[in-house]
Amino acid sequence: MAQTAPHAAHGGSQPAQGRGLFGLLLVAIPVLLVGWLIIYPILAAIVSTLWIETPQGTSFSTGSYRFFFSDGYSLANLSLTLWTTAVCAVLLLVFGLPIALYLRFSTSRFAAYVQGLAIFPMFVPSIILSYALIRTIGPNGTVDLLLNAVGLPKLPSPYLTPWGPVIGLVWDNLPLTVLMLTAGLGGISTSAVEAARDVGAGPIRVFVHIILPRMGNSILVTVSFAVLGIFSAFTLPYVLGPASPEMMGPFMLRTFNDLYDPLNAKTQAVVSFGICLVFGLFYVWSIARNQERRSR
Amino acid sequence: MARLTIEHLRKSFGVTAAVDDFSLTVEDGELVCLLGPSGSGKSTILRMIGGFEQPTSGTLAIDGQDVTRLPPERRPTGMMFQSHALWSHMNVFNNIAFGLKLRRLPRAEIRRKVEEALELVGLAGYGPRQTFQLSGGQQQRVALARSLVLAPKILLLDEPFASLDQHLRERLREEVREIQQRLGITTLFVTHGQDEALAMADRIVVLRNGQCEQVDAPDVVYRQPQTEFVAGFIGSMNFLRANVEGGTFRHGDLSIALDVADGPAVLAIRPEDLGLAQAEGETGAIVLRSTDFGSHIMVELESEGATRVKAMTSPATRFEKGARARLSPTTYGVYRDNRLIASGRLTALPVTGRAHHAVETA
Repeated sequence: MAQTAPHAAHGGSQPAQGRGLFGLLLVAIPVLLVGWLIIYPILAAIVSTLWIETPQGTSFSTGSYRFFFSDGYSLANLSLTLWTTAVCAVLLLVFGLPIALYLRFSTSRFAAYVQGLAIFPMFVPSIILSYALIRTIGPNGTVDLLLNAVGLPKLPSPYLTPWGPVIGLVWDNLPLTVLMLTAGLGGISTSAVEAARDVGAGPIRVFVHIILPRMGNSILVTVSFAVLGIFSAFTLPYVLGPASPEMMGPFMLRTFNDLYDPLNAKTQAVVSFGICLVFGLFYVWSIARNQERRSR
Repeated sequence: MARLTIEHLRKSFGVTAAVDDFSLTVEDGELVCLLGPSGSGKSTILRMIGGFEQPTSGTLAIDGQDVTRLPPERRPTGMMFQSHALWSHMNVFNNIAFGLKLRRLPRAEIRRKVEEALELVGLAGYGPRQTFQLSGGQQQRVALARSLVLAPKILLLDEPFASLDQHLRERLREEVREIQQRLGITTLFVTHGQDEALAMADRIVVLRNGQCEQVDAPDVVYRQPQTEFVAGFIGSMNFLRANVEGGTFRHGDLSIALDVADGPAVLAIRPEDLGLAQAEGETGAIVLRSTDFGSHIMVELESEGATRVKAMTSPATRFEKGARARLSPTTYGVYRDNRLIASGRLTALPVTGRAHHAVETA
């Protein structure tokens, strides 16, 4: 027995090594694809905005960035995009959290229908959603017709104003927000809530003192996801948004297609990527912190 | 300290009645145990008392005040949950202090009360610790302190020791019983463990399918079960099924004279009330197995009609596998349609052939 133990240990490491290699092989293809289709274009875009090709050769220049951050129109577009993203993130939490709380804690059969309704916009293409919103809140849309029918004056339409994309993006991102918040709430046991009520906490205090502190991380992750999606949104801002200023998505397309200015389009993309990267890193940090807590 | 009155309580989930016409009065300072199998409605009753479920009908009153429709936060009850239900984002001190903070007590008083509660449950000095740094037993003690610190009129314990190992469970139940008696707090305790109920309760309520089968002191529930279900649920019980004919219950070579109407009946005998005597020839039950528990031997036998029975015998007497033994009960109960119809004590008489007994019926 004394001789077989080291032999077995030695023999046992070979299958382990094999499994390790097999594991690496399994992740190799996605890693290569990420490198080829995501990392390389990013690096290429950054490099091509800093090392400019001129008739005299390639030279390092930060001119396109200096132009972006000194150009009033570019900054207005960036401001509008940041404003839209922030407003949408707040509104998504304001609308998504009550729905998620209802879905998590309701025992009613009605909850299943609410969940279906909340998730439904996820399956509606953005272009159809835009068309539906134009027909509803646009000039002479359903809202105007209904107001007119009861003898009320028309309301100012959010269509082609900064609020147009806000409404569309909130609608479009609500399902994912609700799903992620509901998943976060799933980690809070019913008995934890009941224990709080048992010691005298009403519904609002339960939310503030018990639920909110324990789903802070999932709220941060939800906001990160929403921000990443909304910041780089194209269809809804393009169809519902104002012509000027415009969000970064339509701005990039117009700079590239209409102005035939790939350098500035790439600069705008790199700036957008830099801002999204902050949220991305924040998301990764949140996940890592969460896993660290769980492992304790 | 308070008196709890439950009258005609009923709770339905759709067409299923989880609790059906349940009434009970728990006296001041009494510890009453709700005991029953899964799905018997014991937790539902406790949750209705705590305000976490609304009764379909019936009333709940604490010290004469109707609390049936009050939300949990407005009831003078404190509940200890099976899963501890500690708030992991708060340390031990804040878990216990949370209810006091909601009542806006001065900071010094909160500190004093929390420290007293921690000392009461044997966790003095544990306030700054995080809940995940505690063992299961310590977490349950914190949950108890959290309930007790608010001095509730009624303490509700919902299978609080279910997730603990046997040794810890026994220790904690003794501690909880001692604390309950020291504080004199009216307590309702839900469990499906009969040993817990027998060890802790002043009275046991045995539930089945949402209805009360029996309410009595633990020794009465054990020794005088009023229904066949209670007889089988509490402790170990042998059931012999046969007909009473001409005033005699006959099962194999065992016959007992009974003062009941003829018809089917179930004879119930505890293993400790079933004596064994060596049988000769092909009569008597066959010994299947003998297990030595040190203080006693549990003999498993097969009687007529493949009925298995257990008898607790002295370690001095040995019954080998395959041997024949005559059953000689000393105390019995007779049930028909789940109701106790007769009970009594027997004095075994040395007889040949069929065993006959001198009977003292109750």
